[in-house]
Amino acid sequence: MRFITGGAYQGKAETASKLFGIKADEIVSGADCDMEKVFSAACIRDYHRLVSRLMDTDTDPVEFTQRLCRENSRCVIIMDEIGCGIVPMEKRERVYRENVGRCGCIIAAESDTVVRVICGIAEFLKGEV
Amino acid sequence: MITLVTGGSKCGKSSYAEKVLNFFDGEKYYIATMSPVGSDAAEIISRHKKMREGKGYITVECQRDICNADVSENSGVLIECLGNLCANEMFVGSDIFKPADKIVSDIRALSERVSELIIVTNEVGCDGVEYSAETLLYISQLAEINRKIAEFSDNVIECVYGIPVPRKGAVIC
Repeated sequence: MRFITGGAYQGKAETASKLFGIKADEIVSGADCDMEKVFSAACIRDYHRLVSRLMDTDTDPVEFTQRLCRENSRCVIIMDEIGCGIVPMEKRERVYRENVGRCGCIIAAESDTVVRVICGIAEFLKGEV
Repeated sequence: MITLVTGGSKCGKSSYAEKVLNFFDGEKYYIATMSPVGSDAAEIISRHKKMREGKGYITVECQRDICNADVSENSGVLIECLGNLCANEMFVGSDIFKPADKIVSDIRALSERVSELIIVTNEVGCDGVEYSAETLLYISQLAEINRKIAEFSDNVIECVYGIPVPRKGAVIC
């Protein structure tokens, strides 16, 4: 598994294409894809949005992510870093950040390569291409 | 040399940028982009002015069209900061919907007539908040500016609690 993270709009999808040769039509978006598609997709972007959608359907994002790691261990996952703000007032938002953080830790632990992108520049936090 | 200094709010990037400018041996300019609107702005402006006292910088206020900033050829210039510049071009008495390309070309033009350029910017896309379309456009425009300037910068430095972390090139000081 390979994991690309960083803030919004930093060039993460472009990095997936540059580093891992992912083509545009191989990417599904967690914002709107069929939930079962992620188990066969080459690359899933906006995984944080998927986490939010799983919460909306009362599916445990952590269990879902563990299943993803078992069943699609070759995929590239792209997820925004969302933890650098004020702790939100709303409980749902706090739980969302908790879930994104826990899923991110699971994905990073399962990945051979972890890349963080800032200003379009890729930094390897773990492994290499 | 072009150095882009980025980081979240209050991470010490202004102080670091000034340190880099101090290394330049020649006329030093400080381009202030903040619109003096609101009490927060007044406070920040006065704090930054105090920080700059006695450092021998020539302060130039420039809230938009930064290519026209009144600075000498071959001088050292610090721009503080792109977050304000982008907001000014988008929202303050102007209606440029997507100013990224304009701002990048303005900065490239400025970089060609000075010897040392230090640009302070801001990371605003990491808090996971679902903002309005207008704010999201601002976040994406600023990020696009950062990416494009990083491409032609010699150094890109991220400040983390005052610690300069090199993302491209080298930490100068």
